Amino acid sequence: MPRQRRLESTAPWVELSTTAADWKNADPALLATMLGQLHLIRAFEERVLELAGEGLVHGPAHSSIGQEGGAVGSIVGLRTTDAVNGSHRGHHQFLAKAITHVSQGKLDLTSLVDDTLQGVLQRTLAEILGLAQGFCAGRGGSMHLQWFEAGALGTNAIVGGGAPMATGNAYAQKHSGTTDLTINYFGDGAAQIGSVLESMNLAAAWKLPVCFFVENNLYAVATRIEESVADTRLSVRGQGFGIPSWRVDGMDPLAVHLAMEQAAEVMRSGGGPAVVEAEVYRFFHQNGPYPGSAFGYRTKEEEAEWKKRDPLDRVAREMIKLGLIDEAGVQQVRDQAIAAMDAATDNLLEADPDSQGKRRIRPELWPDPDFVDVGVRGDASELAELRAVEPLTDTRERESMKFVDAVAGVMERRMGEDERILVLGEDVHRLKGGTNGATKGLATAFPERTLGTPISENAFAGLGGGLALDGRFVPVIEFMYPDFLWVAADQVFNQIGKARHMFGGQNPVPLVLRTKVAMGSGYGSQHLMDPAGIFATSAGWRIVAPSTAADYVGLMNAALALGDPVLVIEHVDLYGEKDEIIAGDLDYIIPPGNAAVRREGKDVTVISYLSMVKHSLEAIEQTGVDAELIDLRWLDRASLDWETIETSVKKTNAVLIVEQGAVGTSYGGWLADEIQRRLFDWLDQPVQRVTGAESSPSISRVLERAAIARTEEVVAGLETVRRHAGGAA
Amino acid sequence: MSTTIRMPEVLANVTEAAVQKWLVAAGDEIAVGQPFAEIETEKAVVEYTAETAGTVLELLVAEGDSIDVGAPIAVVGQAGESAEPEPAAPDAEPAAETPAVSPSATDPESAAPVAEAAVQSPSSPAPASAPAAAPSASAADAPSASSTPAAPATDEPTAGRRFISPLVRRLAREHGLSLDEVQGSGPDGRIVRRDIEALLTDAPSASAPAPASPASAPPASAPAQTSPPAATAPGAEPELVPHSRMRKTIARRLTESKNQVPHFYLTADCRVDALLAMRAEINAAGTVKVSVNDLVVKAVAGAFRDVPEANRTWSDDGMLQHGSVDIGIAVSLDDGLVVPIVRGVEGLSVSALGAQIADLAERGRGGKLRPDEMEGGSFAVSNLGMFGTQSFSAIINPPQAGILAVGAARQMPVVVDGALEVGSVMSVTLSADHRAWDGALAARWLAAFVSRIEHPLTILA
Repeated sequence: MPRQRRLESTAPWVELSTTAADWKNADPALLATMLGQLHLIRAFEERVLELAGEGLVHGPAHSSIGQEGGAVGSIVGLRTTDAVNGSHRGHHQFLAKAITHVSQGKLDLTSLVDDTLQGVLQRTLAEILGLAQGFCAGRGGSMHLQWFEAGALGTNAIVGGGAPMATGNAYAQKHSGTTDLTINYFGDGAAQIGSVLESMNLAAAWKLPVCFFVENNLYAVATRIEESVADTRLSVRGQGFGIPSWRVDGMDPLAVHLAMEQAAEVMRSGGGPAVVEAEVYRFFHQNGPYPGSAFGYRTKEEEAEWKKRDPLDRVAREMIKLGLIDEAGVQQVRDQAIAAMDAATDNLLEADPDSQGKRRIRPELWPDPDFVDVGVRGDASELAELRAVEPLTDTRERESMKFVDAVAGVMERRMGEDERILVLGEDVHRLKGGTNGATKGLATAFPERTLGTPISENAFAGLGGGLALDGRFVPVIEFMYPDFLWVAADQVFNQIGKARHMFGGQNPVPLVLRTKVAMGSGYGSQHLMDPAGIFATSAGWRIVAPSTAADYVGLMNAALALGDPVLVIEHVDLYGEKDEIIAGDLDYIIPPGNAAVRREGKDVTVISYLSMVKHSLEAIEQTGVDAELIDLRWLDRASLDWETIETSVKKTNAVLIVEQGAVGTSYGGWLADEIQRRLFDWLDQPVQRVTGAESSPSISRVLERAAIARTEEVVAGLETVRRHAGGAA
Repeated sequence: MSTTIRMPEVLANVTEAAVQKWLVAAGDEIAVGQPFAEIETEKAVVEYTAETAGTVLELLVAEGDSIDVGAPIAVVGQAGESAEPEPAAPDAEPAAETPAVSPSATDPESAAPVAEAAVQSPSSPAPASAPAAAPSASAADAPSASSTPAAPATDEPTAGRRFISPLVRRLAREHGLSLDEVQGSGPDGRIVRRDIEALLTDAPSASAPAPASPASAPPASAPAQTSPPAATAPGAEPELVPHSRMRKTIARRLTESKNQVPHFYLTADCRVDALLAMRAEINAAGTVKVSVNDLVVKAVAGAFRDVPEANRTWSDDGMLQHGSVDIGIAVSLDDGLVVPIVRGVEGLSVSALGAQIADLAERGRGGKLRPDEMEGGSFAVSNLGMFGTQSFSAIINPPQAGILAVGAARQMPVVVDGALEVGSVMSVTLSADHRAWDGALAARWLAAFVSRIEHPLTILA
């Protein structure tokens, strides 16, 4: 019989509840502030449900009624510079943070709502109604509430989607020398999702001051917690990652407050993250003004039991017991909260002239429809003061250099100049510059800013997103292979790509994502895509794809200076090439809208990027077609150099778009569409294309070659162009 | 496997046409490029050449019948093959039997060949004797009629619709080019840029937009020179003779001209004794015969050299100032007329001009003019002198800015230096477009013309 020894987790895990002494010892001002916040949030949520019932809230209204205690208890003690983010059910957390911010953490129960607070309530309600005066200009609505100034990072409609970004915010707080912390709120439904677990691990490994606060309300919509997990005590998650954890009655705001005090001490003192699980109960269904029992997944008796534990009543009862308030006083608090909501509502609604007895949104408050695309990305004005160089025409002396050394070289130069730049990805700090040497030298020069990550693309990409939104750092994320974008798709597209626009269009998202196309390297079906097409069709991202080392320098510098997320695509075929840069100059930019004409010609405009530029040149020489070759450099819709393309196509009347990868996710599809609509009357033949096969490249050398495009495929493409021009068939 | 030949769209936007004359008969072997039929549209008679080699199995339409563009006109196939369609074939065969061609992974156009092939092989025999029931030529219909495996894509033109690249369409519109005779060299016979490069070079003003309605049609003097219908008994109902395409075109275009072009008229008499003497001398000496009309046309060109600013035409976008003198010559036909254009008259010798006019007139009467030979020009000459007409005024043939109506030279008393003598006099009437020419300009031009005619050596100079 083998010998066994019981193992213990290194992380403490406790359940915390209050005693009469705790209430007695609590600061009366704290209790009063909690009671005021609870009533303000309750009145707010009741008003939202009322308006939803009148059909005035477009989309779901996820009520937090019943769950206010968790948010108020955990937030009432926070600083403005502490931050929170949350889920689709986030009104209570947003309001608690905003109220704490404007009231400096103290509410006066006899004069509950001042003008500033009244404004916060109205702007929050306006946002939920989708109106221009809302915190996110009406774009975010109920599920995307953001107010950076108050430390509200933005609530999130993807379950678990906010965890990586909260982790990134905590990184920025810690590495900016503060003792601030971030709380990521999520529900029991998110406690099993990958990005939360990846973020817990990353935060624990890097000792980041982030609290994973799970509001365990027992139901993921209508699925009960026992159906989803073996251990319903969700704070058990901390045990797996070495994170100290607290379990607390969320219907007791003081208990939550005390637990959070303990957790905050760990976080503020450099001890890393915390997990807090608050047991709460939403009195209504997932959304709308009906109880869950109306939908049959729980009983009225269960609801009645929980309602007896209403956090508003609990705090009032304890305060009355301590002689801090009487029942009339509590009623006055509630009356003030309702009056504040009446005032906010009156400013936003009016009697509907077309429908007796009904209300409607005041028509002048809607956003202007022209606002629809404003702020998808910035206007690149941040590049205006930077020195632009065109390597094609710059006559200065050249210095020969391998392409990959220019990649590492320009990054080392920028990191030396700009302490905000942070490089993170798998193995970027080891193997003499990662798997290809693209980060060579960085870990030696800047060990604290060259971060090897766990293999969890969702977490570290999202951490980068959180850093970018915070603004104190400029993250440079590396995906070892482009196909990992699917692993991290939520963070890359739903969060990073949409963050600026979704939250109102104002806040920049300065982030660089580097990845390398590796077609031809034998890595097979799940590693060898070209990501350009996917990013080009996803709003928010800019894309560069340099074909030369000198271009790489200028494009990377522009990417690092932009307030938008930029995908920088590299290619393994280029890394080893002997190339050259402008001697002694690693500081210029190549701004968006600057393509390079690599060869002038009159018969066809060949449009390409990255390694296919050289394949195109070879093919042009082999066929003798007098082609004009445009190297795009900037690939996204906003940054494309239309002027160069249009001038060329008007001359040649034919287009061949050349790329290497699979036809399905290809880049050229949208470009061909755009060209035929802009230039139809200038085209003498269909927009022709060179792409890879439908399939992803296989491991087999022969099949991989058959699946991708190289010089031979461009030759075939040029012959097609020639045939369509009436040349030899 | 037989191929259905469909009525081609020989002119853009023409919806119907007629086989004026079959140049082959059922049973004939034909080769690609061989003249196949003469197709008559409202503007021109075009020789249609075979695009498929084989044996003519059946001609589906009678000469003269108007049918829709795209409707079947003949079936070509292997000798001995039956032209009779298997009655149920076209509709009964489900489209799904067309085997799918699996796209080649490395072919960037992988999906294209399937569609092209299906459209291109209307392989079952077309209904042989019932053009009325023939399927339309639209691409969508073709695949369902296919009951045999799709043939590999070829560059053989698809019957029924001419393919023209967007660029060529735009250029043709802007330069007033006719693409009727252009052979497309792109896939499926698509007309592409290289196919019209020569035309573009020839176009009168390649850089300026041409007037909206290129003139390929008859102008002016339209002396409907029809012989009267066979005598009919008094009181009989008039016989309704259907309009020919040409008649419809003459009616339409001349009505438009009279409605839209503000005409004004100037008349002059020219002494032509010296001109006639010179002509007699030339014709006595040379092998080439020169007509009075040739000299008149040459004098017109000379007058434009004297008053170059008159060589201009109106367009909505601006005045088109022409360099070359391109003159339309009205040629009467048995029932109708055509106005071929002689280009660069100022640079032609009289004999070369005469030869060109003779060639154009002959081909015009034979219906062999190409549409581009009837388009453009800044001026026209209509001469009815040979009929003894003393003077007349003609209708301008847009976009031209003027037309000179030339009457017969006749002997009449003239006063020279106060003395009466007998002289040969020719009356001419200039019709001018007041949008392009003002009265004084027209008068100066006409004076220059008269001077050239009366000093005929200047015509030759």
